[in-house]
Amino acid sequence: MKDFLLKKDKIKNLLISASEEWDTFVPWKDLGEDLQFVKLPGAGKEDFLNKLSLEYGSPLIPPKTIAFPQLELLFEFEEGKIKEKVPPPTKKLLFGLRACDVKAILFVDDFFRRNFEDIYYLNRTMDKLLVLVGCKTPPRDCFCTSTKTGPFLPVPRSLGEVRKEGFDLQLVDIGDSYLVEIGSEKGKEFIESYKSFFEVASKKEVELSKDAKKRAEEAITLKVDFEKAVKNFCEDKVSRKVYEKIAERCIYCGGCLYVCPTCTCFNVFDGKKGKRGERSRNWDACVFEGYTREASGHNPRPEKWQRTSRRYEHKLKYDYLTTGMSGCVGCGRCLATCPVNIGISQVIEEVAKNEKRISSLSGKD
Amino acid sequence: MKNEYLPYPARIKSIQRESFDTRTFKVVFVDEKLAKSFNYKPGQFMEISLLGIGESPISITSSPSGKGYLEFTIRTMGKLTRAINQLNAGAILYLRGPYGNSFPLEEARTKNLYFIAGGIGLPPLRSVINSAFDHRVNFGKVKILYGAKSPDELCFKEELKVWQNLTNTELLLTVDVPDKDWKGNVGVVTTLWDKTDMDGNRGIAYVCGPPIMIKFVVQKLLKSQFKERNIYISLERYMKCGLGKCGHCNIGGKFVCTDGPVFTYQQIKQFPDKERAI
Repeated sequence: MKDFLLKKDKIKNLLISASEEWDTFVPWKDLGEDLQFVKLPGAGKEDFLNKLSLEYGSPLIPPKTIAFPQLELLFEFEEGKIKEKVPPPTKKLLFGLRACDVKAILFVDDFFRRNFEDIYYLNRTMDKLLVLVGCKTPPRDCFCTSTKTGPFLPVPRSLGEVRKEGFDLQLVDIGDSYLVEIGSEKGKEFIESYKSFFEVASKKEVELSKDAKKRAEEAITLKVDFEKAVKNFCEDKVSRKVYEKIAERCIYCGGCLYVCPTCTCFNVFDGKKGKRGERSRNWDACVFEGYTREASGHNPRPEKWQRTSRRYEHKLKYDYLTTGMSGCVGCGRCLATCPVNIGISQVIEEVAKNEKRISSLSGKD
Repeated sequence: MKNEYLPYPARIKSIQRESFDTRTFKVVFVDEKLAKSFNYKPGQFMEISLLGIGESPISITSSPSGKGYLEFTIRTMGKLTRAINQLNAGAILYLRGPYGNSFPLEEARTKNLYFIAGGIGLPPLRSVINSAFDHRVNFGKVKILYGAKSPDELCFKEELKVWQNLTNTELLLTVDVPDKDWKGNVGVVTTLWDKTDMDGNRGIAYVCGPPIMIKFVVQKLLKSQFKERNIYISLERYMKCGLGKCGHCNIGGKFVCTDGPVFTYQQIKQFPDKERAI
């Protein structure tokens, strides 16, 4: 498969062009300089794209929000009549995703498709193009080389209808340009549709991309024995004491789960004013005391350590046992956002070390 | 793709008082086509809501042989159930479902059936009890052991009398706190073990009730030679969506709403201790 080249100074125009056909989402610096995935506006695209940020880090709020917003209207009602509010299916171009987030998106897609299909999520996400831009300077909290979810994903040998490795296109920063690798037929079609923005890459540029990938990989210094930890989780070797130790520090704010790109728990609630109202869903988190409490008052997970155990075992044990893929993609957001400095990477490290040892979880210095 | 979150209006046709805080609602879907085509299995539940108040999982207590309508027995427990229990016949409930698996009866052919319920645990079992009675010749002895806090809190008081008089059927009742007219057993449901012969060798048990009851009933059943795989238990969890999505009912890698709510004790034993709650 031949690779292509996308000059950095052409990206703006490519995105403006593509946004005519696609709802286009990019990592963008807001007024407070925080990164977010934001949809290109209808007007003022040129100015908007001055704040495009493909070079550094990844938005703290993961791209799951695009298809699974924090607060989502399910339907409206008035005098007993229900008005369905399903988002219309739209074509979405997600440009500038990190490898970890691409893996997370596929994971969540699979979840919402499994068993009952969730029309709200699937309508928002079914027709999409995932353009991965590999990390050049990975944030210090991430550990995707340990979870084998980045900083770049392998390029498939042959193209199928369905993305094999996760991305449709993968971009490697080689200086003034990005080398573009193709991951699917859909990605190939995209290049054909916008061929004026792309050129065929030379051997030299391909070599440069190999070096860039290697450097990015080496820049990730946080390493954990992920496989060993998952094995210990799956073999029930993690003692209650490990969870109790975490429970002493954790303030159960749920922040780590809100920013987790694979967390999908939600609650459903009604709001009403007069005769009109709506039913909505919002993100929920398994670490909350009320999360499992039944109307009778009975709570199957009343203790903090039980909820901590659920939080980690869901990701590192049950997700793996049910899907063959762990729910942790090594993005490091949980550590980055935690007010008391607990990250899943530390838990993995402790669990991998020695299952019998009581965790100290001393945090990073 | 179907919008699974969309409920359908159903009209309350009649209401039966069960106790001071519990009533049974007979409802019919407003859409006649839906009312006619609607099917379910004993042990399944529906998500019931009042628009603007909320939505909760409630098990179906009628049996599938009764076509065209559904029955739910609802105890006032929180905001939604309180509001439902204040409604009169003619009011509209919003339903979606049915969800979850069911109590199997096929496997129980020629066997003796033991139904053990505590409190508001009888309504889900009533569906499978009446399904069994619909095909009475298929089964051996039927025993129903039912305990409630007080005589007033026994559900389906008239129907209990009917069950009592069926051939080859034994109904044993118990209450925690008797009133002056109560002549039956006093004590938790496991105290009924002394009053009858519980033989698990040719028996299948169906259990529903509060977690603490389930725990002691299972111990008794195992002592009475019931096989772990022949003990069916309906579990209660906070099931917000019923679709295996919202996550609230997770136990280990299972969703109670889609993998359950009915599990054999053999399956439940595999659940992690810290999440089993029985």
